[in-house]
Amino acid sequence: MNVLPARTSSVRVGRRRLSRDERLGYLLILPSLGAVFVVVTIPFVLVVIQSISSEDGTLIGLRNFTRALENPLLYDAIRATAEYTVLVLPVEILLGLSFALLVHRTVLRPGLRAAIYVLAILPLVVPPVAIGVVARLIYAPGYGVLNVILERLGLMHQEVNWLGDPTLAMLAVASVDVWQWTPFVYLVLFSGLQTVPRESVEAAQIDGANWWAQFRYIDLAYLRPLFVLIIFFRLADVLRVFDHVFILTGGGPGTTTQLLSLYMYRVEFKFFDAGQAAALAVLVLVSFSLLYSLISRALPLERA
Amino acid sequence: MQSITRREFVKRTALAGALLTPIPAILEACSTGTPTTTKTTKLTIAAVQGAEDGPLKKVAPMYQSQSGITMEIVEFPYDQLFEKLVTTFQANGSSYDLCMMDDPWMPKFGTMGALQPLDSNFGFTRDSDIPSIVYDVGTWPPPHGPVPPSEQGKSQHLYGITIVGNVEMFMYRKDLATTAPSSWDDVLANAMKFNKPNFYGYVIRGKATNPASSDSLPILWSFGGDIFDTSWKVMLDSTESIDAITFLTQSLKKYAEPGAANIDAADRDRLIAIGQAFQSTTWPAEVTGVVEAQGVSQVIGKMAYIPIPKGPSGKGLGMMGNWLLGIPKGSKNGSAAADFIKWLIKSDNMKTYVQNGGIPTRTSLLNDPALGQANPYFPALAQSLAAQPNWRPRTDQWNAVETIYGTAVNQAVAGLKSPKDALTAAAAQVRTAMKQAGYPS
Amino acid sequence: MSAMASGRFLRSALAAIALALAGVVYGFPLYWLVVTSLKSKGELFASTVHLVPHNPTLAAYTSVLIDRGFLVLLKNSVFVCVSTVVITLATGLLITYPITRLPLPARLRVNVLTWALSLRFLPPIAVVIPYFAIVRTVQIYDQPIALIGIYSLFNLPFAIWMLKGFLTEIPLELEDAALVDGASRWIAFWRILLPLAAPGIMAAGIIIFTFAWSEFLFALILTATPNSQTFPVGVQGLVTQFEIIWNDMAASGVIAMALPLVLMIIGRRYIVAGLTFGVIREK
Repeated sequence: MNVLPARTSSVRVGRRRLSRDERLGYLLILPSLGAVFVVVTIPFVLVVIQSISSEDGTLIGLRNFTRALENPLLYDAIRATAEYTVLVLPVEILLGLSFALLVHRTVLRPGLRAAIYVLAILPLVVPPVAIGVVARLIYAPGYGVLNVILERLGLMHQEVNWLGDPTLAMLAVASVDVWQWTPFVYLVLFSGLQTVPRESVEAAQIDGANWWAQFRYIDLAYLRPLFVLIIFFRLADVLRVFDHVFILTGGGPGTTTQLLSLYMYRVEFKFFDAGQAAALAVLVLVSFSLLYSLISRALPLERA
Repeated sequence: MQSITRREFVKRTALAGALLTPIPAILEACSTGTPTTTKTTKLTIAAVQGAEDGPLKKVAPMYQSQSGITMEIVEFPYDQLFEKLVTTFQANGSSYDLCMMDDPWMPKFGTMGALQPLDSNFGFTRDSDIPSIVYDVGTWPPPHGPVPPSEQGKSQHLYGITIVGNVEMFMYRKDLATTAPSSWDDVLANAMKFNKPNFYGYVIRGKATNPASSDSLPILWSFGGDIFDTSWKVMLDSTESIDAITFLTQSLKKYAEPGAANIDAADRDRLIAIGQAFQSTTWPAEVTGVVEAQGVSQVIGKMAYIPIPKGPSGKGLGMMGNWLLGIPKGSKNGSAAADFIKWLIKSDNMKTYVQNGGIPTRTSLLNDPALGQANPYFPALAQSLAAQPNWRPRTDQWNAVETIYGTAVNQAVAGLKSPKDALTAAAAQVRTAMKQAGYPS
Repeated sequence: MSAMASGRFLRSALAAIALALAGVVYGFPLYWLVVTSLKSKGELFASTVHLVPHNPTLAAYTSVLIDRGFLVLLKNSVFVCVSTVVITLATGLLITYPITRLPLPARLRVNVLTWALSLRFLPPIAVVIPYFAIVRTVQIYDQPIALIGIYSLFNLPFAIWMLKGFLTEIPLELEDAALVDGASRWIAFWRILLPLAAPGIMAAGIIIFTFAWSEFLFALILTATPNSQTFPVGVQGLVTQFEIIWNDMAASGVIAMALPLVLMIIGRRYIVAGLTFGVIREK
């Protein structure tokens, strides 16, 4: 007798609270989302308007787009960006994963783990400009310390022209990215490995699973959503790469390391071709939105 | 029930309010930074970071103590200064009362109408002690040479006063070679003669864009090549132009330092200063900043400075690289800024400025024996200025052209393309760019 | 048994060697940054490169902080970054609290998360000019508020994802218990949820601080004078055409590292936990 009314009343209370909470939810979320939406959308609208206008503001249709697409330098930039991405992404993920596994399995002393953490954090806190300068001090012809070391170790007899050869220059530029971002990948994956439940690992070990099987069936399953996120963040970052390339090679030799970000910067701030720059921006924004909608399907969001 | 809801509501608003309060507070805190006063208490100068603005930083405090006006110098590296100025001018911002400008930027700022005319607004006149080319370079539209189509018919005004009398020159080790090279053939012969392991016969400043462009233009001109002719026709793929770049990127490159495609001025000066190279082109700022600098250079007193050697055209053409001071339209302190420029170029003050490492334009100072003692390149600079050095094409498209041309030269230095292919492609790109900008093609 | 033991020993020895080698290769650029900052100008011009500075000096540090007046820029950086952290976290909580604690439709939640992440795909170089135009129009050019606003916006995705991760970890029951006891939502949030989430919020704050700290492109375009210039703008100013001031440059790099590094070390445990963004635990 006592139990039943109590239960119905709690259900009623629950239902009432639900609708109130829902209202509260919307009340909190909508203004902030709305504000952010407006702040994000205005520049986008401005870019689109700029992209179909000439310098004096008259609408000229798609002429800026044809100019942007007819420019052979655009394709050099796309090629360079693709090369850079293909070089950088797999290396960072493989290296980051190897170190995460290595440290997770073999380094158990908390002090050492802490030291590795600090080391891994460092590249994330050095200003990119300083990284560029250090990279230049390492790779530069003449006073570059890499050549000095290679020479003293007897590994090199003739000066290696790291920044003047197209292939080496691209590798040099990519190596800086790998140096800076592998630790990030490591940190994310290492954190992920920490969350793999001990029971599943122990169960697998009892079942006689070897090193590889343990990794393949347990760790990897847990890490999969993180891989997607990492690939996502790093892809988004490819268009942010700027400082170290600018200082290290300035896009050279020729235009071999002129990534899309450098190229857009050049059109905007060297050529002061606002129309073409806006057209490029629109093209990049549209293709990245498409890319995003493809990737976002794989994002670990559904298990909400 | 009602009352609870109301209380709930109040609390929700309080929550939202609490989270949002910092925003207006900060907004307010930030927007109180710009007081409007009628009397000038501070002058802000946008300057280029490096040897060019060093002396300015030294004399500015002197002016500050004389005038009571606070002098604030904001420094930017070369590339960023230009972008910063253009964006600030587009915004008609009042951030800067004075700006340092490299002379090839003059056309862009002139076309934009970004600067206050110094002659009509502040009564500047030409001083006979200063070569006329120095005033010409600060005048827009240009008093000689081709004028951009959009600028024809505009009335000429003086917009910039040179405070760094840069002209590109040539330097070589006089302790090794007894006679100065008089032609680029001599330069090549010397390069071959003095080149040995770990000592380079010639230094190419070949880094993409501005460096490669600046390094090669004097050679291009001395060979009779050019970027444009007098009616804006692109000449980059002419035989003379191709010969000039072939000379630099093939003949001279044989004796040049490895990795030339990535060498900028600082790298070149290091090679010269540690005694590992024989000769190169040079700017005065490199001489004072590195090559003749105590505690840094090992070749002090061993270098000779001469105007650019002659090419097959029979002329040796130096390149102007003057740094000017101008007053942005947006500045609210125009007359105070003008007073500072007038103070700075007064003969006595200019002398103090030069004693602090400044590069003068006054003939009297350039020929002053005492100053020449400390600055061994002064005679060469005086000669170069007197010989009417070339300036870079007076078009607001120059930065685009320089980027295209400087990339082509870099490609040739790196051996990615033959000089002919690189220049032909560059010429086509420049033609497209100029046509789009409304120039005759 | 002994074969297995020696095998294990071999494995850990190999691992140690691999780690040590990687540590050396990886640590070298940092070493070189510090070494360069300790060299004098004369030493940078030595004919041979010294792997260890012969006459280490702190001159570059005083030159950067005092002579060049970068202290002002440091102060600006701190102000901008702290404000960014406050605003980003506040906005982030306003968005993540409802989607994790309140019964909003799951679709909305997924959409908000997807959309937030898409902001991260916004290439700064593509939008820097329009933002410059907006900043000009509302007349906040060369004022810290312009940078604060934009940094908050660009860091919001990260904040949302990290906060979401931390908030979902806190059992709903804890708050429910308080609500049943008659506490209001606000009290439940303030007294129960916030203290539990505080370490996570702090970690998110530190990461946002770090990102804002090293941002350069917007800082360059939207500032003009030391009124609002941040430290990275000053650092970039040391890359000159003709002068070699690598020691000052390196010193400024070391200085710039110091503060975020200390913060990152303080928040270590929670940062490591936060970096999984809660995507794993939801399985």
